[in-house]
Amino acid sequence: MMPFLEVKDMRKQYGAIKAVDGVSMKVGPGEIVGVIGPNGSGKTTLFNSILGQIQPTSGNVEFCGENITGMSPLELSRRGVGRTFQTLQVFVKLSVRDNLIAAAQEFKGTLGSRLFAKNDAGLGGHADEMIELFRLKHVAKLPAGSLSYGQQKLIDIAMAFMPAPRLVLLDEPCAGVNPSLVDQLRELLVELNKTQGGSFVVIEHNMDFIMKLCPHVICMVEGKVMAEGPPAEVQANRQVLEAYLGN
Amino acid sequence: MTTNLQKLGLLAGVIIFALLPLGLKSYGVYLCTLFCVYLMATFGLNLTVGYAGQMSLGQAAFLGIGAYIAAIGMKAGLPFMVMMPLAAIACFAVGLALGFPALRVQHHYLAFATLGFNILVYLVMRNEEKVTGGTFGISGIPRPSLFGYSLEPSLPFFWFTLFFTLLVIGMLWWLLRSPWGRAFAALRDNPIRAESLGVNITAYTLLAFAIGAACAGVAGAFFAALVQFIEPAPFHFSWSLMMLLGVIVGGSGRFLGPVLGTVVIVLLPEWLRFMQNWYLAAFGFAVVVLMIWLPGGLLSIPEKFARKGAVK
Repeated sequence: MMPFLEVKDMRKQYGAIKAVDGVSMKVGPGEIVGVIGPNGSGKTTLFNSILGQIQPTSGNVEFCGENITGMSPLELSRRGVGRTFQTLQVFVKLSVRDNLIAAAQEFKGTLGSRLFAKNDAGLGGHADEMIELFRLKHVAKLPAGSLSYGQQKLIDIAMAFMPAPRLVLLDEPCAGVNPSLVDQLRELLVELNKTQGGSFVVIEHNMDFIMKLCPHVICMVEGKVMAEGPPAEVQANRQVLEAYLGN
Repeated sequence: MTTNLQKLGLLAGVIIFALLPLGLKSYGVYLCTLFCVYLMATFGLNLTVGYAGQMSLGQAAFLGIGAYIAAIGMKAGLPFMVMMPLAAIACFAVGLALGFPALRVQHHYLAFATLGFNILVYLVMRNEEKVTGGTFGISGIPRPSLFGYSLEPSLPFFWFTLFFTLLVIGMLWWLLRSPWGRAFAALRDNPIRAESLGVNITAYTLLAFAIGAACAGVAGAFFAALVQFIEPAPFHFSWSLMMLLGVIVGGSGRFLGPVLGTVVIVLLPEWLRFMQNWYLAAFGFAVVVLMIWLPGGLLSIPEKFARKGAVK
């Protein structure tokens, strides 16, 4: 079966520093793949190279058989590729509901037709469903910037799923999130994977979260793939343990 | 309930303002009309700066382009109702062209790019005598007539200007209530995230500039018909700074912010004239105090008091 996303020999070099050094990976349709590794191992650089945020030094990215290497984030979003960022990226002055509508409205109609469209671009119902799913109903009308970090993180993630993307790359979704919310977040991602049917690639440092969520895990160390496979196998890999804990 | 009260208050305010010139002398009527003219320009600038987050110091240039196009056309015998939309279209087109640097630079770099544009336009107005009349300007600009009824007297012209000011404000309200308004806000708050969510930041940046410029173009056409004599001075970049000040003092990104801001830049200096030689110093001091006490603009006063109440 043709992979949904295929990264071939991706390299990104900053002077003498090889941030990503020949990484290849495959993601199947509907699959959830976890990417782990110590700080500075090149995970976010790999994401940014795949997603057109930075230009890779060499290598190829194919999405549904199409070469998408170096495409802009705008072009990728139109092909159904979504993402979240390592840091919070919400529209702080917009309400929670408007954040969600803003996340999907550009996929409805044309630029010209949106000028004459209803205020919610016909997405109000879907936004309310996501608000319900992410348990944000009590703050739906408040500006996103006025909420707690954890709540903004939930908005951030909900926004990525609003347009029902075919592929979502999540960069540290648990970072800064209250431990009591982590399980809720995992359940939400499982639910979205079932209902929307997209493929997810998740970077995360929370091992418990990633081991429970992802049937396939890739471990990166110093820009290279050190190990990959089922979570238990990767967790037991001696090289992986050394990379995390030292000799 | 509050919203209905606010709407009623707004309507009452518009009616009172529409009737106000009946009790004023001709200079008072002129000031009210000038207030309307600058209101169109500052509402347009609020779209560019407050909603789309693009810094612009070139609004006076668009006001000037609109004024000169309308003046030249009307002197050639073309009706105002033809020249006003032409001025808007021309400014829209120039705004699109100016928007391109906005795609490459941001914040203070963009401010300087637009400032340079204003200086360039000012120099063209001053030096291209054959077209613009240079420092002698263009005089004898006729006031429009409507269905054969002359708008030469100051009162009918004020109501005519007020009607179009409300029309421009209404169109901007409708635009900002559409999904475009949300896209502008997304572009202002977080362009990187906006692009990853399919917002075409190139198109929206250009549109924000062009629509803001078109509003100034319409204002320029009314300005020419109001003063009936134009020369480059009112389109100097210092007036772009004043309009930006109006937007920020009123409350950048707040829909009715430019109303209060334009009161400050157009009417406050007139009210302070009793101070004679000190009035500009007093105006400057008032602005400094406002900016320190109310960085969110005059419309942020209720929020400021609400926050104080919450702290207590």
